[in-house]
Amino acid sequence: MSNDIAFLAEFADGTPQRSALELAAGAAQLAAQSGGAAVALAYGAGAAGGAANVGAQRAVVLGDEDRPAVTYAAAAAEAARDALVLLAPATPNGRDIAAVVMGRLNVPAFGPVSEVDLDGQTLTAKQATLQGSVITASQPVDGAATPSVVLVLANTFTPAEGNADTADVSQAPAVADDPLGTAKVVESHAEEQAAVNLEEATVIVAGGRGVGGAEGFETLQELASALGGAVGASRAAADAGWVPYQLQIGQTGKVVKPSLYLGVGISGAIQHRVGMQTAEHVVAINKDPDAPIGEFADLFVVADLFSVVPKLTEEIKRRKGV
Amino acid sequence: MKIVVCIKQVPATTADKRYEADLTLDRASVETVINPLDEYAIEQALRLADAGTVDEVAYLSMGPEQASEALRRALAMGGDAAYLVTDAALSGADEWATAKVLAAALDKLAPDVALMGMASDDARGSLVPGAVAAMRNLPLLSYGAELRLEDSVARIRRLNASGHDIVEAPLPVVASVTDQVGEPRYASLKGIMAAKRKPLETWALSDIGLSADELQGGALTKVTSAEPPQAKPPTERIENAPPEEAATRIADWLAARKLI
Ligand SMILES: Cc1cc2nc3c(=O)[nH]c(=O)nc-3n(C[C@H](O)[C@H](O)[C@H](O)COP(=O)(O)OP(=O)(O)OC[C@H]3O[C@@H](n4cnc5c(N)ncnc54)[C@H](O)[C@@H]3O)c2cc1C
Ligand SMILES: Nc1ncnc2c1ncn2[C@@H]1O[C@H](COP(=O)(O)O)[C@@H](O)[C@H]1O
Repeated sequence: MSNDIAFLAEFADGTPQRSALELAAGAAQLAAQSGGAAVALAYGAGAAGGAANVGAQRAVVLGDEDRPAVTYAAAAAEAARDALVLLAPATPNGRDIAAVVMGRLNVPAFGPVSEVDLDGQTLTAKQATLQGSVITASQPVDGAATPSVVLVLANTFTPAEGNADTADVSQAPAVADDPLGTAKVVESHAEEQAAVNLEEATVIVAGGRGVGGAEGFETLQELASALGGAVGASRAAADAGWVPYQLQIGQTGKVVKPSLYLGVGISGAIQHRVGMQTAEHVVAINKDPDAPIGEFADLFVVADLFSVVPKLTEEIKRRKGV
Repeated sequence: MKIVVCIKQVPATTADKRYEADLTLDRASVETVINPLDEYAIEQALRLADAGTVDEVAYLSMGPEQASEALRRALAMGGDAAYLVTDAALSGADEWATAKVLAAALDKLAPDVALMGMASDDARGSLVPGAVAAMRNLPLLSYGAELRLEDSVARIRRLNASGHDIVEAPLPVVASVTDQVGEPRYASLKGIMAAKRKPLETWALSDIGLSADELQGGALTKVTSAEPPQAKPPTERIENAPPEEAATRIADWLAARKLI
């Protein structure tokens, strides 16, 4: 075992996902504590060309093709075998790979965490469990094998600047006889509305059933644009077809951790809450003074969204001078 | 074609949760349900059975004796048989140990598809399906909005960044599905009566060829502290304000926190 901190660096269309840059920053932080190196495990379309630039000291290219993330998992396990910690994004792809690494190497897994610390070689991971009703700190049991696999929520670490060409890049050997590698995409369908990557947004304006329809979401988009953020939604709004499911926040949607979450016409059901409860600031606009979201928002505005949202957009544009 | 659906019994979302002095969850004192996301996996399996694609649906759970209630409830929705792995060595099992146990039991049951929910309500790691696939050396098709089966392949519809993919792998596979497969059915009275006569077997670790030693004490992770979330300042409210005033006050609030 080394003191290295490995992290998953996913690429799409030749560019690293924001999660790769965030985890690079996290790995560098932990590596400073452990005395090891930050090692990128890069995969996906364009990974070979970009691996040197995500901010790691070393990079291992697991593969360079556009194929399901899980097909890179066995190679990830082999490449992470000697690391102390493996950081993975708490996204479906990140979880698939993390799960396989846990199962293949028989190592402990934690998360999704919003805080992770190393004291020498002892890892402590903090996470909200049981729908956020408790915050637990966990550690590997004595004698557990390494690496400890840690799922990390988006926006837990802030990407560093100036990452060009920092890493020595090598190619991971192919894994023979790997059934996990047999999954393949046989059809791909793009929806009309191109979706943004919600996990990357630091400001999110989320709309729910109260928004009433696709036109209402255009009003929210204007507010989001004024704030420099993105639009998200409750499952009710996605189920109604007003927005694509890619925008759904919650237990079965995206788990987001923006600095500002502004919920509009959303009641704040537990399944929604678990997807946004780690947001730094929560503002809610709801016409029902007893809506559950009023119990955990930092600022609760009891009002009709259709009258307040356009005014708020105007006011923000005015203050920003645009 | 045979599907085994893995279901977990969890505390009801509304139930108060309590931790024991040893920081494990006190599962005896709370109302329990089938993990809500596993009901979608059950529904998916039963739809494939209704369509005649699948001829046997069985359920598998790891948990305390009491988890047999969840299995009976699943049998009341439909399906043919259920298996519970229960053993004193498993109290406090983490996701790794759970996967190890389910993988061994699934090796014994040898289904074409081991089907799971996308996450358990109380852990929310979504790690068990992938770990079981790795341990059993099988392909993983995860987060399916729908599962389809043909002679020798399984396919799922899975969201991607801007639409969806159809992902395929050769059978047998481990798969997980989301709440997009369609709303789970209710158990009918007839179903509840029929479930009482369906076979439900209980297995100890030795019945699936595992020893307590192999489970390394049941967990590779340990909880070292559990606390309520940090108390936040009380919610500030803006009420009965005309729209312009409300907008100004929200903007002030955001500006004070450097959010605009
Ligand atoms: C297994 C499972 C998984 C789930 N996963 C998710 C998930 O990932 N994400 C998720 O969001 N939900 C999820 N849900 C659904 C969740 O339980 C709620 O049903 C859903 O979040 C409700 O959405 P909503 O708040 O938009 O709608 P509602 O609960 O109907 O709330 C609408 C709100 O809008 C307000 N409103 C109406 N008109 C106005 C107006 N003019 N101005 C201001 N306010 C107005 C109302 O007062 C109300 O509070 C899940 C459910 C299950 C069972
Ligand atoms: N104790 C258990 N018994 C049976 N199935 C389980 C158990 N724990 C997890 N699973 C399955 O694994 C899925 C993912 O769980 P998790 O990885 O804990 O989020 C669940 O939706 C279940 O289908």
